[in-house]
Amino acid sequence: MKLGHLEPRGGLEKGRFFGYFYRVFLQRIQLRNFRNFEDETVDFPERGAALIGDNGQGKTNLLEAIYYLEIFRSFRGARDEQLIRFGTDHFRVEGSLVEAGGAEVTVAAAYRREGRRKKVTLNGDEPQRFGEAIGRIGAIVFTASDVEIVAGGPAARRRFLDIILSLVEPDYLAVLQRYRRILTQRNESLREGASPSELAAWNHGLVDAGCSIIEARARWVAEQRAGFARYYEKISGGQQASIDYAPSIPKPTGDRAAPIDRHGWIEAFHGRLQRLAERERRRGVTLAGPHRDELKFRVGNSSDAVGLRSFGSAGQQRTAAVALRMVEAETLRAALGGEPIIMLDDVFAELDPPRSERVVELLAAEEWGQVLVTSPKPSEFALMGDSLAEYRIAAGTLRRV
Amino acid sequence: MSVIDDLASEFTRLPGIGRKTAYRLTHYLLKIPPEEACRLARAIEAMAERVRRCSICNNLSESDPCEFCTNPTRDRTVICVVEEASDIAAIDGSGGYRGLYHVLGGCLSPLDGIGPEELNVDSLLARLNGEVREVIIATNPSVEGEATATYLHRAIGSRGVQVTRLARGLPVGGDLEYADGVTIAQALSGRRGM
Repeated sequence: MKLGHLEPRGGLEKGRFFGYFYRVFLQRIQLRNFRNFEDETVDFPERGAALIGDNGQGKTNLLEAIYYLEIFRSFRGARDEQLIRFGTDHFRVEGSLVEAGGAEVTVAAAYRREGRRKKVTLNGDEPQRFGEAIGRIGAIVFTASDVEIVAGGPAARRRFLDIILSLVEPDYLAVLQRYRRILTQRNESLREGASPSELAAWNHGLVDAGCSIIEARARWVAEQRAGFARYYEKISGGQQASIDYAPSIPKPTGDRAAPIDRHGWIEAFHGRLQRLAERERRRGVTLAGPHRDELKFRVGNSSDAVGLRSFGSAGQQRTAAVALRMVEAETLRAALGGEPIIMLDDVFAELDPPRSERVVELLAAEEWGQVLVTSPKPSEFALMGDSLAEYRIAAGTLRRV
Repeated sequence: MSVIDDLASEFTRLPGIGRKTAYRLTHYLLKIPPEEACRLARAIEAMAERVRRCSICNNLSESDPCEFCTNPTRDRTVICVVEEASDIAAIDGSGGYRGLYHVLGGCLSPLDGIGPEELNVDSLLARLNGEVREVIIATNPSVEGEATATYLHRAIGSRGVQVTRLARGLPVGGDLEYADGVTIAQALSGRRGM
């Protein structure tokens, strides 16, 4: 794989490989007792960096730390205490960002095992709500395990939707937390065999919060359908795929052309709960609501399209996962009004060479922000051109080459 | 264990008091004149002996019925339902309310084993005897407080009593710019014509 294959096309001049319209970039990251990092400070150039190191040296850990400042959780689904370096009692991550006008913003997060205390600060101050600090750095991670979103269980797909919507919709996270709380209470009440009138007391809140979640998810999928199909087609070299939202509440029927309004969803949700009341009582759990939603991926022409999860090849599933992240980046870009930081964690290892090249072409064709790429082999970075500074990572230490 | 440790360990049972604070309070009481410490002890004793639940509204009071239930100047056509007796002080201190109260003793929370039977709901329904025209539900705007309000609304439902809920929105004297998104959204959806 040589850069020669990837000479920027379509009138893009050399040197604009990843664009110049950076909204924000990560200038410095400081890690203390995070995974295998003891005490490490790294400066990154505005354009980005290529991180090279053998497996187990900390490449993914570093990206995990950076993305921790985006959602204040591990993108690998690890619990906070698992992120603390072995034999220590806390970790801390601090990122310094430079914004468009040159202003510096510091986002930091620390977690202490004792008392399970998490502290998040923005420029040194604790925000009133967690939600205010979320999404502050504006980043996306592409990882090889993204394929699980497409090929794994539905919980991974709901988690994907919840993260992106929490980042771009101002109230989504608060509503989601409210929904989960009501759901837990309602399930407990079902387990205890509560009276229908006590159960009904929880329905109102469940439906109210639930419909806000359904509406946000339905809107996002409707807006991103075309983009997903376009990215899939480009990466796969002409194949077709689609993404559809399959809510656990049946879509309210009516005029197909008219957009479904909130009132329609509320009625449909209440109706579903009513029909399921007997089964819910027997089973002791809530059987309808956004906690049982699905996101359906299909490949092929619309007439003979098949489910990607059950019938797609590994290559098709990986392609769909990359397309989904591309769509996520597009969503973030629209919300930020600028370029997200793109992190690629060894993704090219999983894609065949033509697909890898097309992914890089896509990245090159659009105006992306700072790019951080990891790989075990320096050769992989031929793909990315010479524009990225190289760093070696070994046993939790990082140095610029 | 010494009497000092004894008292300190009693203090640690209070909400928000840890071991260190407990000893600090204990040593403070050792430093002040003994009669002052005894006055505190007597105040606690008197409170524990004399304060009880009002048999009508479940408020905490020295008299049964309580001073709200027996006060002839209070508006007997309105009952304000609160979660805890301490909420009464907040509402009555506002000076904006002259009706009666009813203390639920908590809110619905299956996770804590609290269902309608654990709350003073039946005694509230028993008070809706024709004279009462409005019930104001002033439970907290939490997930549990909202579910409790919904439950009460349905339970009171067909008794010919108007059921209202406290409004939610912007704090008086607050700056719109500093209000959080959830509060502003609530204030918008609950906006009123002028």
